[in-house]
Amino acid sequence: MGKAGGEITNSIRALRFAHDEMTQQALADQIGVSRQTVNVMEANKYSPSLEVAFRIARVFDVTLEQVFHYAER
Amino acid sequence: MTFQEKSLWVMLVGSLVGFGVYFSAVLPGHGASVLPQDVVLFAVAVAMLVAISVAGHVIIAVLDQRTDADERDRSIELAGTRNASYVLATGVFTSLCVALLIPGNFAFTHVLLAFWVLAQLVQIASQLVRYRRDA
Repeated sequence: MGKAGGEITNSIRALRFAHDEMTQQALADQIGVSRQTVNVMEANKYSPSLEVAFRIARVFDVTLEQVFHYAER
Repeated sequence: MTFQEKSLWVMLVGSLVGFGVYFSAVLPGHGASVLPQDVVLFAVAVAMLVAISVAGHVIIAVLDQRTDADERDRSIELAGTRNASYVLATGVFTSLCVALLIPGNFAFTHVLLAFWVLAQLVQIASQLVRYRRDA
């Protein structure tokens, strides 16, 4: 979901499965949002704030660029 | 469904019931000005809204573990508030026109009240649409 002609996608779902099949609820609890918000983020329907983005990267011990990807249209 | 979405459904039902009862009782055969019994009916409508809201929130709070809003909930609420502000601004302007054109205070107060209720409904409905669209 992006504006100004770009699109932000993410690898949250893949990262969850790579981390012992972490549930959406477990990730949600760790980053301080609801399970539904994790769900819409995974579907690329919602881009989180920078703070939540950093929390997600920290949970998976990766960089922001490994979680979120920006592509110009 | 998050606690916030359930909360919106409770407020939607409460508003529709409370103000639906009020307007259906007050509008038929009204006079030029607000009567004391209209004020009593309004108090009853508000009491119904509060009762439904409190009972509904107690039930959904018991069912939900997480009741606090996250950043997406706040973003959706902000968009709903913006939509409601357009309706409210239109209502204020319309009610001022009504105050100038129609004698008595009944039409003015009820046009203003109707737009306020409509603004609340638009705020709730636009949030529910966003939640359902993302689901």
